[in-house]
Amino acid sequence: MKRNLLTFFILGGLILLAVVASQVVGIRLYDRVATNLCISLTLVLGLQVFMGNSGILSFAHIGFMGIGAYASALLTIPTMMKGMALPDLYPFLKDVQLSPYIAIAVSGLVAALVAAIVSYPLMRLSDAAAVITSFALLVVLHTVMTHWSALTNGPRTLFGVPKATDVKLAALVALLALVTALAFKESRTGKLLRASRDDERAAAAVGARIPQLRWRAFILAALFTGIGGALWGHFITSFSPRAFYLKETFLILSMLVIGGANTVTGAVIGTFIVTAAYESLRGIEGLLNEAKVSSQPVIGLTEIVLALAMMAILVLRPGGLFPTREIGALLARRFGRPEKSG
Amino acid sequence: MASSSLKAVNISVEFSGLRALDDVTLTVDPEEIVGLIGPNGSGKTTLVNAITGEVPLVHGSVSLREEAITSLPPWKIALKGISRSFQIVRLFNNLTVIENIESASLAHGDSLRVARGKSERLLDEFGLSNRAEELGGALSYGDKRRVEIARALAADPSFLLLDEPAAGMNEAETDALLHTLSRIPRDRKLGLLIIDHDMSLIMRLCHRLHVLASGRTIAAGKADEIRRDPAVIEAYLGAKAAHA
Ligand SMILES: Nc1ncnc2c1ncn2[C@@H]1O[C@H](COP(=O)(O)OP(=O)(O)O)[C@@H](O)[C@H]1O
Ligand SMILES: [Mg+2]
Repeated sequence: MKRNLLTFFILGGLILLAVVASQVVGIRLYDRVATNLCISLTLVLGLQVFMGNSGILSFAHIGFMGIGAYASALLTIPTMMKGMALPDLYPFLKDVQLSPYIAIAVSGLVAALVAAIVSYPLMRLSDAAAVITSFALLVVLHTVMTHWSALTNGPRTLFGVPKATDVKLAALVALLALVTALAFKESRTGKLLRASRDDERAAAAVGARIPQLRWRAFILAALFTGIGGALWGHFITSFSPRAFYLKETFLILSMLVIGGANTVTGAVIGTFIVTAAYESLRGIEGLLNEAKVSSQPVIGLTEIVLALAMMAILVLRPGGLFPTREIGALLARRFGRPEKSG
Repeated sequence: MASSSLKAVNISVEFSGLRALDDVTLTVDPEEIVGLIGPNGSGKTTLVNAITGEVPLVHGSVSLREEAITSLPPWKIALKGISRSFQIVRLFNNLTVIENIESASLAHGDSLRVARGKSERLLDEFGLSNRAEELGGALSYGDKRRVEIARALAADPSFLLLDEPAAGMNEAETDALLHTLSRIPRDRKLGLLIIDHDMSLIMRLCHRLHVLASGRTIAAGKADEIRRDPAVIEAYLGAKAAHA
C-alpha cells in the first residue's frame, strides 16, 4: 500500500511538474506539448489497464478513442453549426447540445458500452488469435467511422467541435487515469488478471474466470480511451477518421511498450520519453527542411527513428524499461527497510 | 448417508486414439491421504487433469459430495473446492510470492484484506515469510514447489491433488514436506491425493494407495497390502523390491 502511494506521488508529481514547467516557460508550443502529453497519458494508461494486466496485445484501442471523439463532438457541436458540419445527421441528435465536460464523461461511457458489447465474445481468445481479432476490431471500427456519414461526416474532416480542453483539464484526467490504473492493478480483478497473464492454466486452476476478468479490464480501458479521445477532439476541434488508425495506434503502443506494458510506471515513463522524442524529432525535421539540406523535403524521419528505437529497446529489454516492478516498489527495495507486505 | 467424497468413476481418456486412461475408478474421502502411483506414462497426471476438467473424458463421471462436476471448466471445479499442483511447477512468475498465494484466496471471493492475512499465515506455515516480496520466478526450485502448495491451500479446498510435489527436492526438503503434508488433511479437513515416485515418502504418508499401469488400475487398497501385491511388484516396484 505504502509503495503504491509512493508510486502515485512520484508519477503524479512528474506529470504536475511537466505541466507547471510548460506554463512557467509561457511558450504556446510548450502548452500544446504538455496538453498532448496528458492526453497521451490517458490513452496509454487506458491501454495499460488491459494490455499490462492481461498480457494481451490490443490493436483495437485507438478505435475507442475515435468513438469517444465522435461521441463528444455529436453531443457538443452547436445546433446552428450541425447543419453544416453534419448534413445527414439524424434529427433527434440535431438539438442535443451538452456542456463539453459532461459530454466528455458521457463519451467515455459510450466507448465503454461499445467495448462491452463487441469484446465479450473475443475475451476467451489468447495469444495470436487475440491479437489478430483485436486488429480486425480496429479495422471494423475504422470502417464504420469512415462510412457512417450521418454521424461522422464520413472520411471528410468534421469541423466545429468546441474547444474545451486546456492543459489543466487534460492533466486532471491524466492524474485520474493514473490513480485508476494503479488501483485496478491492485484490485481483485487486477491481481487475478495478472496471474492469468503469467500462466493461464494455473490461474484457471485456482478458480480465475479469465474471460470475465479480461472483459472488465477491456471495458475500463475503453472508458479511459473514450475520454482521452473526447479530450483530444475538444483540443484539436477538427478531425477525420484517419486520426484514429494505424499511425496513432503505433505511437500509443510504442509509448507503452518502450516504458514497459506490465507496469503503470512503464506506461507513464514511456509516454514521457516518446513524447519528448517525437517533439524533438519533429523539430529537427523542421530545421532540416528549413536549412534545405537535401533538395527534397525530409519526411518520415520521426516515424523511422521511433520505430528503430522501439525495436532496439525490445531487443535489449523485452519487457521495456520497467518490466515488472513499479517505481515505488523499486525504491522501497533499494532504500527502505524491508516492508512486510505491500 | 450422503457421501462427502471426491469420486472419479469409470474414467476413460483418449489422446488421438491412444487410451491414456481406461475405466479407472478412484475415490478420496475427507481427511484421507491417497497415494496415486505407477510407472511413467501410466496416466497419473491425466487422471488429475480429468478430475480438474482439463482434459475431456471419453467415458465416466466425476462427482464431489454427490454433485456431478464432470466436464465443468477448470475454474468452476476449482471454485467447488478442488485445488491442485502441477507436475511441472506453474507459478505466476511476475507476481510476488505473496501475490501468488493471494490469487487463490481472491478467486474464491475473499476480500483483499482477508486474502492478505490468509497468505501471510500460509507463508509462515511454509517457512517462506522472508520470501514474500520476491517474484515467483526468482525462487529456488524447492521454494517454488512449496509456494505452489501454499497457493493451492489458500483456496481452503476440500480436496487437494498434488502431482509429484517432492520431485527435484533433496532428502531434507522431502522430509520437511512429508512433515507438513502429513498434518494437512486433519488440520484442514481435506482429502489429499498425492502422486509421487518416492516410495518411502508415499509409504510413510498414505493411508491408501491406487496403482496405475498403462492407464488401468492394477491394484488399490491399504498401503501394506499393495506393497506385497505381486502385480504391483512386477509392474512397478519390481526392480526396487527385488533388491530390497
Ligand atoms: N496432452 C496430451 N496429449 C497427448 N498425449 C498425452 C497428453 N498428456 C498425456 N499424454 C499421454 O498419456 C499417457 C499418460 O501420461 P501421464 O498421465 O502424463 O502419465 P504419468 O503422469 O503417469 O507419467 C502417456 O502416454 C502420455 O504420453
Ligand atoms: Mg505425471
